Amino acid sequence: MSSSSAPTESAERLVTTWMATGRDEEVAEAVTEVSEGRLLGVVKALGTYLTSDQDDLRTKGVDFLATVIGRCPENTLNKQSVKVLTAFFCDKLDDTETIVPALKGLSSLPPICTSNDALVILKAVFAHVNMRALVQSVRFHVFSIIDGLIAHHREPLKGMKSEFIAPYINLAEGEKDPRNLLLAFAIARVILVEFDPTDHIEALSNIVFCYFPITFRPPPNDPYGITADDLRLALRRCVSANPALGPIAIPIFLEKLAAGSPPIKRDTLQAMTDSFPVYGPALARTSARKLWNALKLEIFQPTDSATEEAALVTTQALVMTIHAGDAQDGDVQGFARDACEECIGILREPEKSQAKPAIKVLCAFMSTTPSVARYTLANAVPHLLKLFADPNEVPSRHPILLLLSDLIAAARDSSKARSDAEAPPDDPPEPALAPFKDEVLGALISGVGTPATTRAALAGLTGLVSTPHLLSDAEFGFVVLKVNEVLETCYQEDSSDDSNAILKLLMTISAISPSHVRDQTLPMLLKSLPATAPPRDAFAARGRYQHVLEALSTLCGPPLLFSTLVGELSPRLVALASAVPSESETDFELSAAYLHALLAALRRTLAGKVDDGHADVAGYADSLVPALYGLCVRAALRGGPALEPRVVGVAGEIIGLVVQSLASSRQQVFASALFPAFLEGKIAAICSGEDIPAEAGFLPFTPKFGGLMIESEATSAERNLLVLFEAGAIPLHPTVTIDADINAYTEKILMQALAHAENERQTEAASRILGSIVNKHVDELGPFLEHKRTAYWSVKIYEPAGYPGSRRQGLRTWIWMCKGLLVRNHPLALEFIHCLFDLFEDETIGTDAAKAFGDIAASDAVLTKRNSAVVKFLWAQKFATGILPRLMSGARDDSNPVLQHANLIALTALVKSIPNASYTHEMAQARALMPLLMRALQIPDAQIRANVIETLLSVAVEHKNTHDVLTEHAPALVRQMLGYTKARSELTSVRIRISALRYLGVLPGVVRYDVLHPCKPEVLRELAEALDDPKRSVRREAVDAREVWFKYNG
Amino acid sequence: MAVEIFNPNPTIFAPVKPAKSSKTDSLWVGDSSETRDDEELEAEELIDQDEIFDLIRSIYDPEHPNTLEELRVVSASQVTVTGNRVMVEFTPTVPHCGMSTLIGLSIRVRLLRALPSRFKIDITLKPGSHQSELAVNKQLNDKERVAAALENPVLVQTLEQSLANASLRGQSSEE
Repeated sequence: MSSSSAPTESAERLVTTWMATGRDEEVAEAVTEVSEGRLLGVVKALGTYLTSDQDDLRTKGVDFLATVIGRCPENTLNKQSVKVLTAFFCDKLDDTETIVPALKGLSSLPPICTSNDALVILKAVFAHVNMRALVQSVRFHVFSIIDGLIAHHREPLKGMKSEFIAPYINLAEGEKDPRNLLLAFAIARVILVEFDPTDHIEALSNIVFCYFPITFRPPPNDPYGITADDLRLALRRCVSANPALGPIAIPIFLEKLAAGSPPIKRDTLQAMTDSFPVYGPALARTSARKLWNALKLEIFQPTDSATEEAALVTTQALVMTIHAGDAQDGDVQGFARDACEECIGILREPEKSQAKPAIKVLCAFMSTTPSVARYTLANAVPHLLKLFADPNEVPSRHPILLLLSDLIAAARDSSKARSDAEAPPDDPPEPALAPFKDEVLGALISGVGTPATTRAALAGLTGLVSTPHLLSDAEFGFVVLKVNEVLETCYQEDSSDDSNAILKLLMTISAISPSHVRDQTLPMLLKSLPATAPPRDAFAARGRYQHVLEALSTLCGPPLLFSTLVGELSPRLVALASAVPSESETDFELSAAYLHALLAALRRTLAGKVDDGHADVAGYADSLVPALYGLCVRAALRGGPALEPRVVGVAGEIIGLVVQSLASSRQQVFASALFPAFLEGKIAAICSGEDIPAEAGFLPFTPKFGGLMIESEATSAERNLLVLFEAGAIPLHPTVTIDADINAYTEKILMQALAHAENERQTEAASRILGSIVNKHVDELGPFLEHKRTAYWSVKIYEPAGYPGSRRQGLRTWIWMCKGLLVRNHPLALEFIHCLFDLFEDETIGTDAAKAFGDIAASDAVLTKRNSAVVKFLWAQKFATGILPRLMSGARDDSNPVLQHANLIALTALVKSIPNASYTHEMAQARALMPLLMRALQIPDAQIRANVIETLLSVAVEHKNTHDVLTEHAPALVRQMLGYTKARSELTSVRIRISALRYLGVLPGVVRYDVLHPCKPEVLRELAEALDDPKRSVRREAVDAREVWFKYNG
Repeated sequence: MAVEIFNPNPTIFAPVKPAKSSKTDSLWVGDSSETRDDEELEAEELIDQDEIFDLIRSIYDPEHPNTLEELRVVSASQVTVTGNRVMVEFTPTVPHCGMSTLIGLSIRVRLLRALPSRFKIDITLKPGSHQSELAVNKQLNDKERVAAALENPVLVQTLEQSLANASLRGQSSEE
């Protein structure tokens, strides 16, 4: 402590060094000095500088002290030193050379000084600071000082009253810098809210409203990052701070609203919304007329929808301000009444365009105060109902009901919002619409029966049924009954225009009380399904059953309805499937198609339920699944419509969906019956139905190995059931055990399934099972995979002397093994995939091997999370990044044309099937992919060509950063695409023409005009030819593409 | 704007229900992909009145933010196609509508751009729907005068605004 009276050595050294260098280190050390209690030492060391006659030394000295004080942690300075510092800095304000650092020093004092010091600071600032003479960063210190004082010493400042407000206004006037304004607005709000500004309202409004509305646009690279919205918000809080501002504000609002651009209008409207509640009902009432006239203009002749929306919200605020204190007796006087009457007057012509904004205003009134809402409903609803009943207005019934349904929806939403806001009451409030329920329901029901007004009435009914606590259970039943009648006519007259809206309504009802739909709608729909398939030429009947099934599958999502559906459809399925196949071939196909349609409806519903995560799906593993296995197996053994591969396919999908939703323990039970069923002839275990004899000898893979004695080969129909095997096997969880010796068992599946697969479908099913098993059990399958990699590859696939069909089949298996390994990023995957390169020069299956790259990288429905496959994140991207360079260099290397060709095909196949984020790098950086793709366009293969164009299309649409690459090739691409749009050219297809036209339509959006300008006349001329394409879908694209080129200007 | 509004509060009609895709003649449900190859072989689909109506239904009225279809200025039944000849008839909302020529011109420009050149297109007002029907009809079907109108950049800009959403073909833009 002895050193505190005399300047210490170190302090002096610090000060001298800093004066010479201005480095940061010295400041930091000085801060340490001060925080260790040696402030006096530092000040003494500075002594001569602080009082120096040389201006710049004085400035520097004060600046050093201010910087050090500013960096000192809080509570290192005691009261006495703060007092001294305050006096010192205030003293320095008088000196033009030291005012800048002194303000800086003062700005760090408010949090630590006493109230007396605060008043001293304030008075000194008011006395000495002339804002116009200071630059913006210094003015910022002034605002910070005042802001700090207000924050920490508000009470004494309040006590100063006019002595504070008047000089402050003088200080803040004319400020322009956005950073300072943010502080100024905050200060002004505190003054307006908490101080007593009555005598200074005029002056305060001057420093607030001169900025309204904010038109500030932040400069680029603004270091403070202040946006126009920050300022708007801060200013809005000032504008709405004090009721006394009201009389000044309203004319300004009106003026800005009338003259402003859309953003200014919106800002003004929002400011009005915030201000009305503060300004109070008295002012709102007197200026209501003027305000409403201005708002009406924004609503009835809106500049854009956002402004219209804002104007509606402002109107709501106005209504709530005026009518918040109204008595709750339902009688509304004043503004809301006038506006409401005015809108209802406009509604006298419900078919005119002004009726829409009028109903919007009324709907907005619904979410204001309860009394206004009641008043609006009590006047608007009877008015619309009267119009509806008026015989002269029959042609306008459709718009009348549309308006009514808007009102119903608004009433519903307002009551919902209200009950959400409050705590859920035990006794729900009566819905606002309750007094008119019967009349409204009557009008809607009568409207729904008339074709011209059905759609509008359905919208209204949907609003009614979704209003909580409005309709009684009996009324729900009545609505369902009436709507059913309409639905029935829809199907009978085959005009299903309104059926979607009806189904939506019924779904809304079934979410609330499904029993009405179950008891009324389902029987009606099921009744209209024929018992047997309609004849081939009965197009109408077939169309009807397809529509009805679509309706059933849409409706039957809820568990209660789904169980009814399954219960009703199951006997029909059995009856259809067991129809005696004695008739002619045609009849057989017809019942198969009908069966397929029924199953497809079940599949659609089930898929929706799985997406929504319904828990009842798993329950069908014991009923629906065995029934479907039984159905198909019986048909395979004895014949019948269920033989048809498409029927088997959709049955498989249903089984897959159910097995997916089983817990793994249940899956284990299922699996232990599934595998023996298909591999060991124990099919009866998984089938329900009494007539599958245990000794039926169902063995889709004829066993050539010992054990069972089977004389006849399995029929093709039996082998087609491999699809059902696949359906049950693929969703199994990795923890489900397949067999004790999984290697041998998998080999068995592979050998038996493939050896006798006789068509594409069977091969695919077997390969997919294999892919799924490999994916889930790779760690246990070491020996199996090793065998595949060596012996199987060289003998079955690579050996050129092999039978081509069998080699292709081997290749399919190979692809699926690769996929299974690849999606889990297993190291073996690349080893397997690289084998494919060896096939590129093969004459017979070289192209197949090249195309395989696309199949491997494509996403599929088998190896998915839902099927419990092990799928790693971004596996396709990872694969593409690894393999693309090799394919690209291969496609560029022209030493071996065969190899080059194969690489090119592999490249296009791969690029088509992966997400295009994975190759934009190649696209943009190396610019190498584009020429290759353009060369691939020359390959005479319609499928490859269409793939390439679609790839180009998706790149152009989604990735704008490849534009310079496109620019380079655009003219050539345009000519090439034009060639592909010709319907009469060789090697074309609808798919090629459509994608070429789409690409032409996209190019002008992504390529600079000057690049394609020379092509424009040619494109317009050539596209005129495409306008006459024989196909409607192509013509449509041609019209759109040509329109884009017409509008393509520099 | 100082421009006179001819009909400030026109009647809005519900859009005509879109033509239903009557694919019910297919025996099997939901297998459109398999029939794709057959599509190539199927007979040519000729340009019919619905297709032409689709082209013009979503043109905007120059006076209102509504389409010609919503204002019932055009309808499918007012379009006829016979061979290489297309007749389009339209109905102005009020008989003194000064925008009729502009509406007719926007229909013509749309069809010029979207129909093959083999068609001859006649655009006329519905008989008795307008007070200067003959003059407007003459103006709309005079090649020289249409060409001259399209040289006027202000007029072309107005036309482009009317045609901005014509490719929606009766679908609302949100869908």
